Amino acid sequence: MRTKLAILLAGWSLLWLAPAAVGHHAIGGEYDPNKPVTLKGTVTRIEWTNPHARIYFDVAGPDGKVVNWNVELAARSALARQGWTQRSLNVGDTVTVEGILARSGVSMVNARSVVLPDGKKVFSGENQ
Amino acid sequence: MRKLVLVSAIAALVVPLVVQQASTQGQTIAAQRRAGPQQGPIPRLPDGTVDLGDGVWTGGGPINDIETEGGLKKGEIEALLLPSAKAILATRDVTQEPHNRCLPMGIPRVTPFPYRFVQNYTHRRPTHMFILQEGNIHSYRQIFMDGRKHPPELDPTWYGHSIGSWEKDTLVIDTVGYNDQSWFDRRGFPHTEQMHTIERWTRLDKGRMEHRFTLDDPGAYSKPWTVRFMATLGPPGDELMEYICTENNQYGVFTIPGWADKFNRPN
Repeated sequence: MRTKLAILLAGWSLLWLAPAAVGHHAIGGEYDPNKPVTLKGTVTRIEWTNPHARIYFDVAGPDGKVVNWNVELAARSALARQGWTQRSLNVGDTVTVEGILARSGVSMVNARSVVLPDGKKVFSGENQ
Repeated sequence: MRKLVLVSAIAALVVPLVVQQASTQGQTIAAQRRAGPQQGPIPRLPDGTVDLGDGVWTGGGPINDIETEGGLKKGEIEALLLPSAKAILATRDVTQEPHNRCLPMGIPRVTPFPYRFVQNYTHRRPTHMFILQEGNIHSYRQIFMDGRKHPPELDPTWYGHSIGSWEKDTLVIDTVGYNDQSWFDRRGFPHTEQMHTIERWTRLDKGRMEHRFTLDDPGAYSKPWTVRFMATLGPPGDELMEYICTENNQYGVFTIPGWADKFNRPN
Protein backbone atom coordinates (compact mmCIF):
# COMPACT_ATOMS: atom_id res chain seq x y z
CA MET A 1 0.00 0.00 0.00
CA ARG A 2 2.83 2.35 0.93
CA THR A 3 4.61 1.48 -2.32
CA LYS A 4 1.47 2.22 -4.28
CA LEU A 5 1.06 5.53 -2.52
CA ALA A 6 4.66 6.46 -3.22
CA ILE A 7 4.19 5.62 -6.87
CA LEU A 8 1.00 7.62 -7.04
CA LEU A 9 2.69 10.60 -5.43
CA ALA A 10 5.55 10.29 -7.89
CA GLY A 11 2.90 10.21 -10.57
CA TRP A 12 1.26 13.38 -9.35
CA SER A 13 4.55 15.19 -9.41
CA LEU A 14 4.86 14.22 -13.06
CA LEU A 15 1.44 15.48 -14.06
CA TRP A 16 2.98 18.30 -16.02
CA LEU A 17 4.44 15.63 -18.30
CA ALA A 18 1.05 14.14 -19.15
CA PRO A 19 1.12 14.41 -22.94
CA ALA A 20 -1.73 13.95 -25.37
CA ALA A 21 -0.84 10.38 -26.22
CA VAL A 22 -4.31 9.18 -25.38
CA GLY A 23 -5.33 8.19 -28.90
CA HIS A 24 -4.06 4.67 -28.51
CA HIS A 25 -6.82 2.08 -28.36
CA ALA A 26 -5.44 0.22 -25.36
CA ILE A 27 -5.80 3.28 -23.20
CA GLY A 28 -9.54 3.23 -23.83
CA GLY A 29 -10.84 2.31 -20.42
CA GLU A 30 -7.75 0.35 -19.37
CA TYR A 31 -5.17 2.92 -18.35
CA ASP A 32 -5.70 6.26 -16.67
CA PRO A 33 -4.06 9.25 -18.36
CA ASN A 34 -4.41 11.10 -15.06
CA LYS A 35 -2.13 8.61 -13.31
CA PRO A 36 1.32 9.07 -14.84
CA VAL A 37 4.18 7.15 -13.28
CA THR A 38 7.95 6.74 -13.66
CA LEU A 39 9.51 3.42 -12.70
CA LYS A 40 13.08 2.13 -12.86
CA GLY A 41 14.00 -1.52 -12.82
CA THR A 42 15.56 -4.58 -14.44
CA VAL A 43 14.00 -6.28 -17.46
CA THR A 44 12.98 -9.87 -16.71
CA ARG A 45 11.02 -10.79 -19.83
CA ILE A 46 10.25 -9.48 -23.31
CA GLU A 47 7.15 -10.54 -25.23
CA TRP A 48 7.48 -9.58 -28.89
CA THR A 49 3.81 -10.10 -29.66
CA ASN A 50 0.53 -8.68 -30.94
CA PRO A 51 -1.77 -6.93 -30.25
CA HIS A 52 0.85 -5.42 -27.94
CA ALA A 53 4.48 -6.08 -27.27
CA ARG A 54 5.22 -6.19 -23.55
CA ILE A 55 8.17 -6.07 -21.24
CA TYR A 56 8.16 -7.17 -17.64
CA PHE A 57 10.59 -5.67 -15.17
CA ASP A 58 11.45 -5.83 -11.49
CA VAL A 59 11.02 -2.56 -9.62
CA ALA A 60 12.10 -2.08 -6.03
CA GLY A 61 9.69 0.01 -3.99
CA PRO A 62 10.79 2.48 -1.31
CA ASP A 63 10.43 -0.35 1.25
CA GLY A 64 12.82 -2.53 -0.74
CA LYS A 65 10.09 -4.92 -1.83
CA VAL A 66 10.51 -5.94 -5.47
CA VAL A 67 7.44 -5.98 -7.68
CA ASN A 68 7.36 -7.35 -11.22
CA TRP A 69 5.58 -4.83 -13.47
CA ASN A 70 3.87 -5.58 -16.80
CA VAL A 71 4.58 -2.85 -19.36
CA GLU A 72 2.35 -2.51 -22.40
CA LEU A 73 4.00 -1.20 -25.58
CA ALA A 74 2.60 -0.60 -29.07
CA ALA A 75 1.79 -3.53 -31.35
CA ARG A 76 4.78 -5.58 -32.43
CA SER A 77 4.03 -4.75 -36.06
CA ALA A 78 3.84 -1.00 -35.33
CA LEU A 79 7.19 -1.16 -33.50
CA ALA A 80 8.71 -3.11 -36.38
CA ARG A 81 7.64 -0.37 -38.82
CA GLN A 82 9.58 2.07 -36.60
CA GLY A 83 12.66 -0.10 -36.93
CA TRP A 84 12.60 -1.89 -33.57
CA THR A 85 13.17 -5.60 -33.06
CA GLN A 86 12.98 -7.87 -30.06
CA ARG A 87 16.75 -7.52 -29.89
CA SER A 88 16.48 -3.76 -29.27
CA LEU A 89 16.36 -4.58 -25.55
CA ASN A 90 17.69 -7.47 -23.50
CA VAL A 91 16.64 -9.28 -20.37
CA GLY A 92 18.83 -7.87 -17.59
CA ASP A 93 18.88 -4.33 -19.00
CA THR A 94 18.03 -1.52 -16.62
CA VAL A 95 15.27 0.70 -17.95
CA THR A 96 13.29 3.70 -16.83
CA VAL A 97 9.67 3.50 -17.92
CA GLU A 98 7.37 6.47 -18.10
CA GLY A 99 3.73 5.68 -18.57
CA ILE A 100 0.26 5.63 -17.10
CA LEU A 101 -1.17 3.22 -14.57
CA ALA A 102 -3.87 0.58 -15.02
CA ARG A 103 -7.26 1.67 -13.71
CA SER A 104 -7.62 -1.47 -11.59
CA GLY A 105 -4.51 -0.71 -9.53
CA VAL A 106 -2.52 -3.81 -10.58
CA SER A 107 1.17 -3.45 -11.39
CA MET A 108 0.63 -2.67 -15.05
CA VAL A 109 1.60 0.40 -17.01
CA ASN A 110 1.04 1.62 -20.56
CA ALA A 111 4.44 2.98 -21.58
CA ARG A 112 5.06 6.34 -23.13
CA SER A 113 8.80 5.87 -23.08
CA VAL A 114 11.36 3.22 -22.22
CA VAL A 115 14.83 4.64 -21.62
CA LEU A 116 18.18 2.87 -21.20
CA PRO A 117 20.75 4.15 -18.67
CA ASP A 118 22.70 5.93 -21.44
CA GLY A 119 19.60 7.94 -22.29
CA LYS A 120 18.73 6.00 -25.43
CA LYS A 121 14.99 5.59 -25.92
CA VAL A 122 13.76 2.24 -27.18
CA PHE A 123 10.37 1.26 -28.61
CA SER A 124 9.31 4.83 -29.30
CA GLY A 125 10.18 7.26 -32.07
CA GLU A 126 12.37 5.86 -34.82
CA ASN A 127 15.28 3.45 -34.72
CA GLN A 128 16.99 4.20 -38.02
CA MET B 1 35.44 15.87 -75.06
CA ARG B 2 32.87 13.47 -76.44
CA LYS B 3 33.72 11.01 -73.70
CA LEU B 4 33.26 13.69 -71.09
CA VAL B 5 29.83 14.54 -72.45
CA LEU B 6 28.86 10.89 -72.40
CA VAL B 7 30.10 10.40 -68.85
CA SER B 8 28.30 13.55 -67.74
CA ALA B 9 25.11 12.38 -69.41
CA ILE B 10 25.28 9.00 -67.71
CA ALA B 11 26.08 10.64 -64.39
CA ALA B 12 23.15 12.99 -64.82
CA LEU B 13 20.90 9.99 -65.28
CA VAL B 14 22.33 7.81 -62.55
CA VAL B 15 23.17 10.24 -59.75
CA PRO B 16 19.58 11.32 -59.03
CA LEU B 17 18.55 7.66 -58.87
CA VAL B 18 21.33 6.85 -56.40
CA VAL B 19 20.52 9.93 -54.32
CA GLN B 20 16.84 9.07 -54.31
CA GLN B 21 17.61 5.55 -53.18
CA ALA B 22 19.95 6.78 -50.49
CA SER B 23 17.31 9.17 -49.20
CA THR B 24 14.83 6.38 -48.47
CA GLN B 25 17.41 3.76 -47.55
CA GLY B 26 17.62 3.29 -43.83
CA GLN B 27 14.44 5.23 -43.26
CA THR B 28 11.83 3.28 -41.41
CA ILE B 29 8.46 2.51 -42.94
CA ALA B 30 6.87 4.77 -40.34
CA ALA B 31 9.12 7.70 -41.31
CA GLN B 32 8.47 7.17 -45.03
CA ARG B 33 4.72 7.07 -44.37
CA ARG B 34 4.92 10.37 -42.54
CA ALA B 35 6.68 11.94 -45.53
CA GLY B 36 3.31 11.85 -47.32
CA PRO B 37 1.65 9.90 -50.10
CA GLN B 38 3.57 8.82 -53.17
CA GLN B 39 3.24 10.95 -56.30
CA GLY B 40 2.56 9.74 -59.81
CA PRO B 41 -0.11 8.51 -62.18
CA ILE B 42 -2.69 5.81 -61.46
CA PRO B 43 -1.13 2.42 -62.25
CA ARG B 44 -3.22 0.39 -64.69
CA LEU B 45 -3.54 -3.18 -65.87
CA PRO B 46 -3.04 -3.89 -69.61
CA ASP B 47 -6.82 -3.61 -70.17
CA GLY B 48 -6.88 -0.15 -68.59
CA THR B 49 -8.45 -1.15 -65.28
CA VAL B 50 -6.99 0.52 -62.21
CA ASP B 51 -4.31 -1.74 -60.70
CA LEU B 52 -4.77 -1.96 -56.96
CA GLY B 53 -2.10 -4.62 -56.57
CA ASP B 54 0.90 -2.32 -56.23
CA GLY B 55 1.07 -2.02 -52.46
CA VAL B 56 -0.65 -1.94 -49.10
CA TRP B 57 -3.08 0.76 -47.96
CA THR B 58 -3.78 2.47 -44.67
CA GLY B 59 -6.61 4.79 -43.68
CA GLY B 60 -9.76 4.95 -45.76
CA GLY B 61 -12.18 4.50 -42.85
CA PRO B 62 -13.05 5.63 -39.34
CA ILE B 63 -11.15 4.68 -36.18
CA ASN B 64 -12.29 6.95 -33.35
CA ASP B 65 -15.22 8.99 -34.63
CA ILE B 66 -17.05 8.23 -37.88
CA GLU B 67 -18.71 11.65 -38.00
CA THR B 68 -15.70 13.94 -37.81
CA GLU B 69 -13.24 11.55 -39.50
CA GLY B 70 -15.81 10.99 -42.25
CA GLY B 71 -16.08 14.67 -43.10
CA LEU B 72 -19.31 15.40 -41.21
CA LYS B 73 -20.05 17.65 -38.27
CA LYS B 74 -20.37 16.13 -34.83
CA GLY B 75 -23.97 15.04 -34.34
CA GLU B 76 -24.93 14.71 -38.01
CA ILE B 77 -25.20 10.92 -37.96
CA GLU B 78 -26.39 10.90 -34.37
CA ALA B 79 -29.36 13.05 -35.44
CA LEU B 80 -30.46 10.27 -37.81
CA LEU B 81 -30.49 7.51 -35.19
CA LEU B 82 -33.86 5.86 -34.65
CA PRO B 83 -34.90 5.59 -30.98
CA SER B 84 -33.97 1.89 -30.81
CA ALA B 85 -30.48 2.57 -32.16
CA LYS B 86 -30.08 5.58 -29.92
CA ALA B 87 -30.82 3.32 -26.95
CA ILE B 88 -28.11 0.87 -28.07
CA LEU B 89 -25.55 3.67 -28.47
CA ALA B 90 -26.36 4.93 -24.98
CA THR B 91 -25.43 1.57 -23.43
CA ARG B 92 -22.03 1.33 -25.15
CA ASP B 93 -18.70 2.34 -23.70
CA VAL B 94 -15.24 1.88 -25.12
CA THR B 95 -14.40 -1.12 -22.94
CA GLN B 96 -17.08 -3.20 -24.71
CA GLU B 97 -15.63 -2.76 -28.19
CA PRO B 98 -15.73 -6.10 -30.03
CA HIS B 99 -12.25 -5.58 -31.48
CA ASN B 100 -10.78 -5.38 -27.99
CA ARG B 101 -11.60 -9.07 -27.86
CA CYS B 102 -9.99 -9.73 -31.25
CA LEU B 103 -13.30 -9.74 -33.11
CA PRO B 104 -13.50 -8.11 -36.57
CA MET B 105 -13.62 -4.34 -37.00
CA GLY B 106 -16.45 -4.60 -39.50
CA ILE B 107 -17.05 -2.21 -42.40
CA PRO B 108 -16.08 0.61 -43.03
CA ARG B 109 -13.81 0.76 -40.00
CA VAL B 110 -10.03 0.57 -40.31
CA THR B 111 -7.09 0.23 -37.95
CA PRO B 112 -3.63 1.79 -38.07
CA PHE B 113 -2.56 -1.44 -39.78
CA PRO B 114 -2.55 -1.88 -43.57
CA TYR B 115 -4.70 -3.92 -45.92
CA ARG B 116 -4.16 -5.10 -49.45
CA PHE B 117 -6.46 -5.48 -52.44
CA VAL B 118 -5.86 -8.72 -54.31
CA GLN B 119 -7.51 -9.14 -57.67
CA ASN B 120 -8.15 -12.68 -58.83
CA TYR B 121 -8.69 -13.59 -62.47
CA THR B 122 -9.19 -16.54 -64.73
CA HIS B 123 -7.80 -16.12 -68.25
CA ARG B 124 -11.25 -14.83 -69.25
CA ARG B 125 -12.37 -12.41 -66.56
CA PRO B 126 -12.07 -11.21 -62.98
CA THR B 127 -13.56 -13.56 -60.41
CA HIS B 128 -12.95 -12.07 -56.94
CA MET B 129 -11.41 -9.17 -55.14
CA PHE B 130 -9.98 -10.02 -51.75
CA ILE B 131 -9.09 -7.40 -49.18
CA LEU B 132 -6.48 -8.89 -46.89
CA GLN B 133 -6.39 -7.15 -43.53
CA GLU B 134 -3.31 -7.23 -41.34
CA GLY B 135 -5.12 -6.23 -38.20
CA ASN B 136 -7.15 -6.09 -36.01
CA ILE B 137 -7.94 -8.92 -36.85
CA HIS B 138 -5.90 -10.82 -39.42
CA SER B 139 -8.79 -11.45 -41.77
CA TYR B 140 -10.06 -10.95 -45.31
CA ARG B 141 -13.04 -9.71 -47.23
CA GLN B 142 -14.27 -11.58 -50.29
CA ILE B 143 -15.90 -9.55 -53.05
CA PHE B 144 -17.46 -11.33 -56.00
CA MET B 145 -16.44 -9.62 -59.26
CA ASP B 146 -18.08 -12.11 -61.64
CA GLY B 147 -21.40 -10.33 -62.04
CA ARG B 148 -23.44 -12.46 -59.65
CA LYS B 149 -26.25 -10.95 -57.55
CA HIS B 150 -26.79 -11.13 -53.79
CA PRO B 151 -28.63 -14.32 -52.77
CA PRO B 152 -32.23 -13.62 -51.70
CA GLU B 153 -31.66 -14.89 -48.17
CA LEU B 154 -28.45 -14.69 -46.20
CA ASP B 155 -27.48 -15.77 -42.74
CA PRO B 156 -25.87 -12.65 -41.24
CA THR B 157 -22.08 -12.41 -41.02
CA TRP B 158 -19.52 -9.82 -39.86
CA TYR B 159 -18.48 -8.90 -43.42
CA GLY B 160 -21.73 -9.71 -45.21
CA HIS B 161 -22.06 -10.66 -48.88
CA SER B 162 -20.16 -8.35 -51.24
CA ILE B 163 -20.43 -7.91 -55.00
CA GLY B 164 -18.09 -5.58 -56.84
CA SER B 165 -17.75 -3.84 -60.18
CA TRP B 166 -15.76 -1.04 -61.77
CA GLU B 167 -17.28 2.30 -62.76
CA LYS B 168 -14.40 3.94 -64.63
CA ASP B 169 -11.66 4.33 -61.97
CA THR B 170 -13.98 3.56 -59.07
CA LEU B 171 -14.30 0.15 -57.47
CA VAL B 172 -17.88 -0.15 -56.27
CA ILE B 173 -18.61 -2.71 -53.54
CA ASP B 174 -22.21 -3.43 -52.65
CA THR B 175 -22.76 -5.41 -49.45
CA VAL B 176 -25.75 -6.86 -47.61
CA GLY B 177 -26.15 -9.74 -45.17
CA TYR B 178 -24.34 -8.14 -42.25
CA ASN B 179 -24.80 -9.15 -38.63
CA ASP B 180 -25.31 -6.31 -36.13
CA GLN B 181 -22.13 -6.86 -34.11
CA SER B 182 -19.51 -4.42 -35.36
CA TRP B 183 -19.10 -0.80 -34.21
CA PHE B 184 -18.37 2.02 -36.65
CA ASP B 185 -16.03 3.77 -34.22
CA ARG B 186 -15.01 3.97 -30.59
CA ARG B 187 -18.21 5.80 -29.74
CA GLY B 188 -20.10 2.65 -30.69
CA PHE B 189 -22.38 3.78 -33.52
CA PRO B 190 -24.63 0.77 -34.15
CA HIS B 191 -26.33 -0.86 -37.11
CA THR B 192 -28.79 -3.67 -37.70
CA GLU B 193 -28.93 -6.70 -39.97
CA GLN B 194 -30.87 -4.55 -42.45
CA MET B 195 -27.72 -2.60 -43.26
CA HIS B 196 -26.90 -2.17 -46.95
CA THR B 197 -23.61 -0.46 -47.79
CA ILE B 198 -22.10 0.88 -50.98
CA GLU B 199 -18.38 1.59 -50.96
CA ARG B 200 -16.93 3.67 -53.75
CA TRP B 201 -13.13 3.41 -53.85
CA THR B 202 -11.68 5.91 -56.35
CA ARG B 203 -7.97 5.92 -56.96
CA LEU B 204 -6.94 9.55 -57.38
CA ASP B 205 -3.27 9.02 -58.21
CA LYS B 206 -0.40 6.70 -57.28
CA GLY B 207 -0.53 7.40 -53.55
CA ARG B 208 -4.15 8.25 -52.69
CA MET B 209 -7.55 6.60 -52.92
CA GLU B 210 -10.82 8.18 -51.89
CA HIS B 211 -13.43 6.04 -50.14
CA ARG B 212 -17.02 7.26 -50.21
CA PHE B 213 -19.15 5.07 -47.99
CA THR B 214 -22.95 5.17 -48.18
CA LEU B 215 -25.06 3.35 -45.64
CA ASP B 216 -28.74 2.56 -45.78
CA ASP B 217 -30.04 0.89 -42.62
CA PRO B 218 -33.76 1.45 -42.08
CA GLY B 219 -33.42 -0.51 -38.83
CA ALA B 220 -31.14 2.09 -37.23
CA TYR B 221 -31.15 5.37 -39.20
CA SER B 222 -33.99 7.54 -40.50
CA LYS B 223 -32.31 7.98 -43.90
CA PRO B 224 -29.16 6.92 -45.77
CA TRP B 225 -25.95 8.81 -45.08
CA THR B 226 -22.53 9.13 -46.72
CA VAL B 227 -19.08 9.63 -45.24
CA ARG B 228 -15.79 10.16 -47.04
CA PHE B 229 -12.27 9.02 -46.19
CA MET B 230 -8.82 9.02 -47.78
CA ALA B 231 -6.62 5.94 -48.01
CA THR B 232 -2.87 6.17 -48.56
CA LEU B 233 -0.59 3.73 -50.39
CA GLY B 234 2.25 2.44 -48.21
CA PRO B 235 5.87 3.26 -49.15
CA PRO B 236 7.94 0.73 -51.09
CA GLY B 237 8.86 -2.14 -48.78
CA ASP B 238 5.73 -1.78 -46.65
CA GLU B 239 4.20 -5.25 -46.65
CA LEU B 240 1.53 -6.99 -44.64
CA MET B 241 2.97 -8.37 -41.42
CA GLU B 242 1.79 -11.13 -39.16
CA TYR B 243 -0.72 -9.89 -36.59
CA ILE B 244 -2.27 -12.59 -34.47
CA CYS B 245 -4.57 -10.70 -32.14
CA THR B 246 -5.22 -13.62 -29.82
CA GLU B 247 -1.49 -14.26 -29.39
CA ASN B 248 -1.13 -12.07 -26.33
CA ASN B 249 -4.34 -10.12 -25.91
CA GLN B 250 -4.58 -9.01 -22.30
CA TYR B 251 -7.19 -6.34 -22.94
CA GLY B 252 -9.05 -5.50 -19.75
CA VAL B 253 -8.37 -8.80 -18.02
CA PHE B 254 -6.36 -7.25 -15.21
CA THR B 255 -6.54 -3.56 -15.98
CA ILE B 256 -10.28 -2.88 -15.77
CA PRO B 257 -12.06 -3.64 -12.53
CA GLY B 258 -14.72 -6.32 -13.14
CA TRP B 259 -13.92 -6.72 -16.83
CA ALA B 260 -13.08 -10.41 -16.71
CA ASP B 261 -16.35 -11.15 -14.93
CA LYS B 262 -18.30 -9.19 -17.49
CA PHE B 263 -16.95 -10.88 -20.59
CA ASN B 264 -15.64 -14.26 -19.56
CA ARG B 265 -18.71 -15.44 -17.72
CA PRO B 266 -20.39 -18.35 -19.50
CA ASN B 267 -23.76 -17.41 -21.02
